[in-house]
Amino acid sequence: MKDFLKGLFKHNETYLALIIIVFAGVLTLINPQFMSFRNIFSLLKNSSGTAILAVGFLLVILTGNIDVSFPAIAISAQYIATTTLIALDSNSLALAFAIAIGIGLLYGSINGFFVTKFKLPTLIVTLGTFNMFHGFLLEFVGTRSINIGQLPDAIKDFGDINLFTVAGSGSNPVGFSIFVGILIVVLLLTFFILRFTLLGRGIYAIGGDAEAARRAGFNVNRIQFFIYMYVGVLAGIMGMLHIALINYGNPNYIVDSELLRVIASVVLGGALITGGKGSLTGTMLGVLLIVTLEKNLVMIGLSSYWQEFFVGLIIVVGVTMTHVQAKLQSTQKVTIVRSH
Amino acid sequence: MTDNFLEARSISKAYTGVQALDEVTLNIGRGAIHCLVGENGSGKSTLIKIIGGVVTPDGGEVIYNGTSYSHVRAIDAIREGVQIIYQDLSLFPNLSVAENISLNQMVEKQNKVMNWKEVRRIAADALSEIDEELDLNEVVENLSMAKKQVVAISRALTQNAQLIVMDEPTSALTREEVDHLFSVIHKLKEKGIATLFVSHKLNEVFEIAESVTVLRDGKKVGDYPASELDNDKLTYLMTGEKIEPEPYTYAPDTGTETPTLEARDLSREGEFKDISFKLYRGEILGITGLIGSGRTEVALSLFGLTNPDSGEILIEGSPVHVSTPRQATKYGISYLPEDRLTQGIFQHQSIGDNIVVTILRKFLDKFGLLQTSQKIASEKSWIERLSIKTPSRNAPASSLSGGNQQRVVIAKWLATQPKVFILDGPTIGIDVASKKTIHQTIRELAESGMAIIMISDEIDEVLKNCNRVLVMNKGQIAGEFETPSEVSEDEVFELVTKDTTNEVA
Repeated sequence: MKDFLKGLFKHNETYLALIIIVFAGVLTLINPQFMSFRNIFSLLKNSSGTAILAVGFLLVILTGNIDVSFPAIAISAQYIATTTLIALDSNSLALAFAIAIGIGLLYGSINGFFVTKFKLPTLIVTLGTFNMFHGFLLEFVGTRSINIGQLPDAIKDFGDINLFTVAGSGSNPVGFSIFVGILIVVLLLTFFILRFTLLGRGIYAIGGDAEAARRAGFNVNRIQFFIYMYVGVLAGIMGMLHIALINYGNPNYIVDSELLRVIASVVLGGALITGGKGSLTGTMLGVLLIVTLEKNLVMIGLSSYWQEFFVGLIIVVGVTMTHVQAKLQSTQKVTIVRSH
Repeated sequence: MTDNFLEARSISKAYTGVQALDEVTLNIGRGAIHCLVGENGSGKSTLIKIIGGVVTPDGGEVIYNGTSYSHVRAIDAIREGVQIIYQDLSLFPNLSVAENISLNQMVEKQNKVMNWKEVRRIAADALSEIDEELDLNEVVENLSMAKKQVVAISRALTQNAQLIVMDEPTSALTREEVDHLFSVIHKLKEKGIATLFVSHKLNEVFEIAESVTVLRDGKKVGDYPASELDNDKLTYLMTGEKIEPEPYTYAPDTGTETPTLEARDLSREGEFKDISFKLYRGEILGITGLIGSGRTEVALSLFGLTNPDSGEILIEGSPVHVSTPRQATKYGISYLPEDRLTQGIFQHQSIGDNIVVTILRKFLDKFGLLQTSQKIASEKSWIERLSIKTPSRNAPASSLSGGNQQRVVIAKWLATQPKVFILDGPTIGIDVASKKTIHQTIRELAESGMAIIMISDEIDEVLKNCNRVLVMNKGQIAGEFETPSEVSEDEVFELVTKDTTNEVA
């Protein structure tokens, strides 16, 4: 038991979970409604999209690379899929998802192509494709918003699907959204890939030492290509969840908010920006903390403008902390060597 | 059919006009312990890469187990049982011991799914083959260099290695760790696995090798049984010239002269205790001891990188307070760190910029702008003075060999015209000829009136190049030798290792 606790406190995730518990405690003290099923389920539903993006971003970070184009992929997938449905006067959710995922695959493979073929720095490539994808969307697909009246019923209905309901405090039952179900499927699949496939171990190996991974026989290019495609698919799915959540589509949404939120979540979750280290659990806790913080700033008496400040602060402090931690560990090692 | 595992016959390879290897032949018997020695640029690395199938030779053939290849691919070499352990070990620092040992095999078998039980079994088997015990779950970055090597060797074993090539495996190891590595190599031999050991350190070559192949300028000088060689002979074979340093004898007039540097009872908790010595101009004071004996720690304190808890430092008779490297430089103390690659040089900057970086201030005109002509002149004069081999002062420092990089770093500190120059492990990892030049340079500096401290774990080096030697052991001065040239290596070794043999893991 003691060893178990000791092991527990070695993990970044434990501290993150404690912070969330304390924060939730404070919020419950201020507003007892915070701990209600209604609020918790709604919080989970609202953060599913961000969480799915964060899973993709984690994979990229694990290899020591970066992809900043995913918000542009997500909004492109959403907007192109929905306008196509409207234009065809179709009410098929399956078609919408097929288009969104197709766009994700296409855009992901464009990223993958430039990254693997020309060995370009991934930040520059994806900064470029971010603008390409978004610019293409505005120029060739449209700039107008899609309001609730135009939105196909299938998409609106999709946003209201619950996997199960529990009795709420009032007379209305509280639903557990399908969004969270989709997130759970994504998490299970990704966990399986990372933990139990050679592809997943290859992702960690590349993050540890790309040259060593090559020498060990991993096909580094193929793995990188896979990751960018995977990020594309997840972004496509997120795009559809987003429009079904707010019942409103605007080609300038997602690109305006998700990039830093996702980066902050993953960094806060303990992923090393230089690659090789990071976990799904940490990432999910990171998302949870960021979203809770954003949604409740007003409740603790701060204006919502603080949100932007906090997200920025978290990125800087988070990166500094992991860096300092790594440095401390290496100095500790030196002292150990010396004292022997 | 001979009893050789590997026969490389008249291998030639040229890179853009430079003949890296010229008709070199190398035979390695089954289970043999074979050393490949040669200076930097003698073709050792190219030969290793050809054996491993990473580089294709222009001519010649490689025969493994009697099967001849004129065009070896890396995968052929691996299938035939050749494993190369590069200096960087190619491990994954973020993954566990078990995974690091087993992943290569998993990838080679083209498994899609990770079987963790299998991963652990493969790792445990490989470790037990060489009687090693490691925590399979430990993350590799937390291991010492020696244990990382054990992981790399175990990984090689999972690939059915018949020949393990180790490229400079001892450069980052302590003496005890080297002994341990040698015992592992002997265990490999018992299993019939041959080792090709590539090293600069001649004393290690004699200790481990059964036979030695010497390369010089891409040509094979010859194969020799290790028992027929000694230090001088091998040095001669490697360099083609005799290198016999005259002992450095210099006796300062301690009666009248003020010491340039004096340490009085310097102590720092957990590092060193009651360190007192005097250093006069013209002297080369050697300090030797094990890693952790305090030899480097004292130097760091003298240079202001750490602060002693108590004691005094005197420069030319007056007590000074040195708490930052900047102050140390002001008092004329310079320090050349042990790890030249990471601490002493800007790899991507030009050689010239590296040399003048410490004295850039001198080239500013009254407007604070850089006077390029003076800067260039200074760069050129240092390159010439220390005979740094480079086509251009504008070439990046990374283009230089280890020995030449070392000279750039020396030049950089000499440019500040120090009174006291502390060199920590000045010749670590460089070949015999470069070593000689550096020793020569150090001597010239001392003769020109500089006071020098040379820290080294090679006892032979301090005995031959210093006029006085201090031996450190567990943070204290364990002995002092006034005429090092008359002292035997064993005598010093005893002091160095006294009471420590059981402690160092």
